[in-house]
Amino acid sequence: MSFDPVRRTELRAMFVDFAQTRDGALRHELIEAHLGLAEYLARRFSNRGEPLDDLVQVASVGLLKAVDRFDPERGIEFSTYATHTVVGELKRHFRDKGWAVRAPRRLQELYLRLGKIISTLSQELGRSPTIQEMATEAEVSEEEVLEALEAGQAYRFASIDAPSGGDDDGDSLGSRLGAVDPQMAGAEHRVALSPLLATLPPREQTILHLRFFEGLTQSEIANRLGISQMHVSRLLARSLAQLRNAAETA
Amino acid sequence: MLPAGPDVASGSVRTVERERERLRVNNEDEVRLVVPATPEFLRLARVTASGLASRLGFSFDEVEDLRLAIDELCFMLIGSKGRAGTVHLRYATVSGGLEVAGVGSFTDDGIRHPLTPFSEQILSALVDEYSVDDDGEGRPGFRLRKQRHGKPASAS
Repeated sequence: MSFDPVRRTELRAMFVDFAQTRDGALRHELIEAHLGLAEYLARRFSNRGEPLDDLVQVASVGLLKAVDRFDPERGIEFSTYATHTVVGELKRHFRDKGWAVRAPRRLQELYLRLGKIISTLSQELGRSPTIQEMATEAEVSEEEVLEALEAGQAYRFASIDAPSGGDDDGDSLGSRLGAVDPQMAGAEHRVALSPLLATLPPREQTILHLRFFEGLTQSEIANRLGISQMHVSRLLARSLAQLRNAAETA
Repeated sequence: MLPAGPDVASGSVRTVERERERLRVNNEDEVRLVVPATPEFLRLARVTASGLASRLGFSFDEVEDLRLAIDELCFMLIGSKGRAGTVHLRYATVSGGLEVAGVGSFTDDGIRHPLTPFSEQILSALVDEYSVDDDGEGRPGFRLRKQRHGKPASAS
């Protein structure tokens, strides 16, 4: 990814400005301007059996770090600096994933196939499919379906909330992403139940709200938000693990 | 299988019937699992629950709920870092549902993680019944019950 010379000069000036002022709006603008780089780098890791959405999120965390730490006085391009930081974050992610990443490739591939199968069967049947139905459709055994589901979701308890930097700070991924969505009804009630909810990105908060406070099923949430049920499932498991870990250290 | 021998004397029949009954009770769909009390091994607790739920014809949505509930309740026992000791799990299929009971048997002095109001909210949405209690010998434990609400089981 590259910018035209005018835009590049403009961004360089913004970095100089940000280094002095640490202005929040400027920071936001710089992050936005480079999200394409984060996504591009995430795609380079997308053949390892991890959902691209997750990788983009991890890469975005790396981008936040890069923006915060970049020193324009050192004379290197931000893209060079950020690439190093983002790739480091992605590699750490894979290293921290433990079992899930070591799952056999056939299970990882099956997991990705199951995402589509669940979506198709849910539409055809008008309800959530059984594991048996998924196995029949995928032409594998039920045990393989269950193993694949586990392989895709076996996020270790600590992996998400472990310090994402691994170097000089203790900020977790949770503390870096998102804020409370002020539009969400009942936010006070939820925050009273768990103040840590506010540390989750808005989309995760919405999903938790719909599942646990509105009583929607995962498939209903997937339909409402226009994302796959596998994704809803993954985000739910991850958000809850993150909240548990955060509560433990609070 | 019980032997189906030629002995049809009434006493023997009664004995065989009693034996059948005993075996029927003992052969209930009950599974016991003992795992080290560390997060890495909890996947076995989830997979076992999913496997049994699948046999009962649970939907994917319901299986997912069950897995999340087990995560939540096991966290209460061992936290995110694990404990020294084991977690004993018992899975029993009950009419149209699955019961899971877990008890922690620890050799360290780790702290307990009581359920927060948020955890209670989550569990209420995920399962039909749950409780958290000691097992009578001072060991922390939990029990949950999840019914199949979807289509009737066509599973084995």
